[in-house]
Amino acid sequence: MTPEAAVGAETSPILMPGGGVARRPLHFIVMADCSGSMKGENMQALNYALRSMLPHLASWERDQLQAQLLIRVLAFATRPRWHVPGPTSVADLSAQWRDLEFAHQGLTNMGPAFRAIAEVLAPDQLERRALRPAILLITDGQPTDPPGGFELGLAALLGSAAGRSSLRLAVAVGRDANSAPLNRFRSPDAPVLVAESIDDIVDTLVTASIALSRMSETGADRGALAQRLLQAGPDPAVGSPDDSIL
Amino acid sequence: MTTRPLEARDQPGGWRALTATERGAAHVAAGLPNQDAVAAYPIGSYGAVAAVADGHGHRRHFRSSRGSRLAVAVACEAAQDLTGRIDRCPAAGQVEDETRAVLVPAIVERWRAAVSQDLDGEPFTPAQEASGAATGDDVVIAYGSTLLLAVVWRQWLVLAQIGDGDIVAVRPDGGVLLPVPDDPSLDGWQTTSLCEPRAVDEFRAAVVDLSSTALLGVMLATDGYGNAQLADQWTEVFSQDLAELAATCDPESLADQLPVWVARCASSEGSGDDTTIALLLAPGRTELHRDQQQATEPPR
Repeated sequence: MTPEAAVGAETSPILMPGGGVARRPLHFIVMADCSGSMKGENMQALNYALRSMLPHLASWERDQLQAQLLIRVLAFATRPRWHVPGPTSVADLSAQWRDLEFAHQGLTNMGPAFRAIAEVLAPDQLERRALRPAILLITDGQPTDPPGGFELGLAALLGSAAGRSSLRLAVAVGRDANSAPLNRFRSPDAPVLVAESIDDIVDTLVTASIALSRMSETGADRGALAQRLLQAGPDPAVGSPDDSIL
Repeated sequence: MTTRPLEARDQPGGWRALTATERGAAHVAAGLPNQDAVAAYPIGSYGAVAAVADGHGHRRHFRSSRGSRLAVAVACEAAQDLTGRIDRCPAAGQVEDETRAVLVPAIVERWRAAVSQDLDGEPFTPAQEASGAATGDDVVIAYGSTLLLAVVWRQWLVLAQIGDGDIVAVRPDGGVLLPVPDDPSLDGWQTTSLCEPRAVDEFRAAVVDLSSTALLGVMLATDGYGNAQLADQWTEVFSQDLAELAATCDPESLADQLPVWVARCASSEGSGDDTTIALLLAPGRTELHRDQQQATEPPR
């Protein structure tokens, strides 16, 4: 039993049944393109942007009233590799941050990365009370998966309740990023964001990460948030389904 | 603000109902009302009925706080009507049949009628009309709510639930009993609802024969409670702790504690969501718990 503050000095101590309370976990997964094409300025900018994103996420976490943010980072190229494998608090991640590195001659295979994320969102891996997970995909290119690889990976991700319900947002770095596959990945009410230049990456990533976090809150008006924070129109046919009926 | 629990108005020797509800911290910050509702009444000198409901938070359900209040009111009325019918039922299976065939349809029908009456009394504004027209929603969607109901009458505990939330029954030894089956379609983010066309079919129900399955109490809780619990399997720990409390605390003392529990869950240290519980306490709890402890103690 958890002892609680007594209502008054005269009253008996309050004992609350159960194992204690806590905020609901919000799993935030960054899926970062570390293919060969990210070499140089793009990789530098991505690392700088990710580091810059963390204080903003910490600030958001302090200001909202529902979620405990838990971050993982998946680096993907020819194969995916968990850069931050376990759910990590913003404070711990800020303290332990290590820069991502590009994979020499690495391809941009997204299918295996989607499958890696699907595994950590399986029902036996996720708390029952977790808020809908958020996935942020950042890439400067288009998928180079073998035929069917992208589709199979995406199907695996969307095959679980958590993957299907997750908020998925994509940031395309530069004009070479192909938005057609990213449109298939993103949630219907979360547009693809484009960072036109290296200078845009930080602002875009911070905006995207905060938007994703806020959209994950229970009862959030995701359409309005998408319009306000991302300055882009969501698909008007799709309203936020959170805290609503099946 | 936390509401005071109901006075324990029922007779000594009967089941007692305690309730509490708290507006969620996130609702306070967003300027939203407490969209949960609760009601509980004694039935005769022994029985009791309790209901909790959680109005949906999405803007489509802009009258969900009314929907949840109507839900608990009509559910308690319909439950009182059920008692006359189950008097004639000798077996749990028949009580469950009555629950599914009569009680649940009556609740849904009365809730829809109550919604219609509420709408007649205060029609939608033009903006609300336009919003509903844009989404193609039936007017009843605006009132969407879950509902959890428990009725104790003679030796029967009748339970019915639509949507998320928890019904936790506590055995004399502190073991947990979750009589209402899980709904695999509930993913934690969306819920079944009274406002759906298939609401009658979406209800889950269970009947416990208290003459063969002794209980110390039953808790009904909206999802703000369970979502605040740190442990994934929180119902087991909860049941053990509540058995101890129910056997050792008088109802008035427990009634003072309930508002603290829901306030903690609804706070920014918990789920931040509206949180409501109704606790039905069996008569003779201390004796039941003591007998159970003596039965499990090793012989000297």
